[in-house]
Amino acid sequence: MTDNGPVSGAAGTETEGGEDLGVERPVAAERRRWPHWPAVGVAVVGLIITGVLVALAASTYTSNEKRLLNLRVRDAGALFAEALPGIQTPLASAAALADATGGDVQRFTTFIAPYVKPVGGQYTSVSLWRLGPSGARLLTTVGAPQVLAVTPARAAAFFRSAAKSAQLSVIGLLQGPRPRLGYAFTSPGLTGHFVAYGESALPANRRSKFQSSSPFADLHYALYLGRTQNNADLLVSDLQKLPITAQHASTTISFGNDDFTFVVSAKHPLEGTFAQRLPWVIGILGVLLSLGAAVLTGRLIARRNQAEQLAGSLERIAEENRRLYAQERTIAQTLQHALLPEGLPKIPGVETSARYEAGVEGVEVGGDWYDLIGLDDRRVLLVVGDVSGRGLRAAATMAQLRFAIHAYAAQNDPPAVILSKLSRLVNVNTSGQIATILCALVDVGRHHVTVTSAGHLPPLLVSNGSGTFIHGEVGVPIGVRSGVRYTSTGVDAPPAATLLAFTDGLVERRGETIDTGLQRLEQAAVGQDGDLDELLDRLVTDLRSDGGDDDTAIAGLRWLD
Amino acid sequence: MSFEVAEEDGGTLRVTVSGELDITNVDTLASAVAPALARKPPRVVVEVAQLRFADSSAIALWVQWASAVPQIELRDVSPLLRRVVESMGLAETLHVTP
Repeated sequence: MTDNGPVSGAAGTETEGGEDLGVERPVAAERRRWPHWPAVGVAVVGLIITGVLVALAASTYTSNEKRLLNLRVRDAGALFAEALPGIQTPLASAAALADATGGDVQRFTTFIAPYVKPVGGQYTSVSLWRLGPSGARLLTTVGAPQVLAVTPARAAAFFRSAAKSAQLSVIGLLQGPRPRLGYAFTSPGLTGHFVAYGESALPANRRSKFQSSSPFADLHYALYLGRTQNNADLLVSDLQKLPITAQHASTTISFGNDDFTFVVSAKHPLEGTFAQRLPWVIGILGVLLSLGAAVLTGRLIARRNQAEQLAGSLERIAEENRRLYAQERTIAQTLQHALLPEGLPKIPGVETSARYEAGVEGVEVGGDWYDLIGLDDRRVLLVVGDVSGRGLRAAATMAQLRFAIHAYAAQNDPPAVILSKLSRLVNVNTSGQIATILCALVDVGRHHVTVTSAGHLPPLLVSNGSGTFIHGEVGVPIGVRSGVRYTSTGVDAPPAATLLAFTDGLVERRGETIDTGLQRLEQAAVGQDGDLDELLDRLVTDLRSDGGDDDTAIAGLRWLD
Repeated sequence: MSFEVAEEDGGTLRVTVSGELDITNVDTLASAVAPALARKPPRVVVEVAQLRFADSSAIALWVQWASAVPQIELRDVSPLLRRVVESMGLAETLHVTP
């Protein structure tokens, strides 16, 4: 027993696999074939949009930076320009003083000394010169020795040109241990030209930073003499590496007969770090979104493909089911009609008619049938039967019973014997089916009917405007037991009587007793005129009009005299 | 259609059916009762007080049960159903009791 468990379990699994119906395989294949192109398209479109947005953000950032930097350099230049008179004015005043005092060295020295300091003053040193026809003559020097004094010829040339100008004259950068910037103011005097000449030392290495408290502490800068950014003309910068290659802005400030060029670049983004990173943020988010959208698109397409596959499979299965269903119905119907008599026997003295109606609701055929078997020229066996259940099995059992009845009837077996023999053919325990059968043996000439019933509804005998059900002894249906003994009941039929045998589909309705249905049939049958065919048509039409999900067989026989 | 299957002390198999029992659902009941029936109970009681309708397939099933066990009883049978069973000559086979 225990050994059988796994074996039967394995068999069960195999059966399930066999019922696969081929749905799983195409779906799995579809799942493996990732749908690339639409997803790639989405990714490409997303990346293009991202690229455009990044470019826009970056260009906006750059142009804003440029605009802000221009504002800053203008501010810084203005501030710087405001400081320049602090250099020019003392020198101009000193020259004017010398002119007014006829070159009074003492007063000159007293005036200019406060401005001269080795470090941190306007001037490193200032000297006073007198220009005459013979050249320039040094009157005095305040502060450190001057670089220009070493080259008197150059000094004379510079002073001569400076004398022609009413403004500050700049000689330029003077090389030395610490380069100096030299400039001069001349004043035409009564005794000749007086020149006040100042030199300012540049910071060590020409490098100096803004103080951290300065409003321009966030800028790098470089200050050049002249209008170009030559390294040789550099006065001061906070950067070691020049010229400035990063984004920068410059302004030119007039200084005497020369100019300063002030160049700045931002240490940090002027719009803030977020503005600087915004293109990156947009780019990264855009790429992620594009990839996400692509993956999502891929999945959606895969899902849709799966769903379409599945729908297709289901449709095929449904189609197959419909086909099989229709096929079984067709087979069963074909069988049913093949099993019913093709034509009814012509019996002198009676007219016969029969109908079979399939159930309305059930698509499966039922197991009802009728038969009329001419035994000889004066006797006819009228049979109506009903096999329980529906479909091919019911039809097959019906066929078996019907042909068996033909065979036994041919052997001249009386109805009770026929039914008894039939009871050996069907067993409810093996087939799950039972069958009710009514045999009415009609002796046409003697106007006599012998009824034998295996669990079947009684036949109706109509004559002279009244109906009588022939209630004989009812034996058990075929299939209940083997070798049942059946009892027959005989009645005489009046002239022109009509015998009707039928199955329960004609009279049975849910929720009401059979007797009600039988009464309805009796009234309907009694109230009809016309021939037998018309009667059966009317009965089938009227009695099955409300209800009738069961199939129905009805057979009739009417004496002509 | 709904049903209950109970195996009582003493071996009686009690099947209570309600609603409508016909060809569309008779197989469900048959499958549900089959295992208990295979244990060969001495007696089957079919309670049909709440059964509104039974067609010939239902009756065929009960006949099948009747042939499988020594004793069967169709209990609390409505007049409608009683009439059907009687008309089929099965009152004795199914031991119909009011």
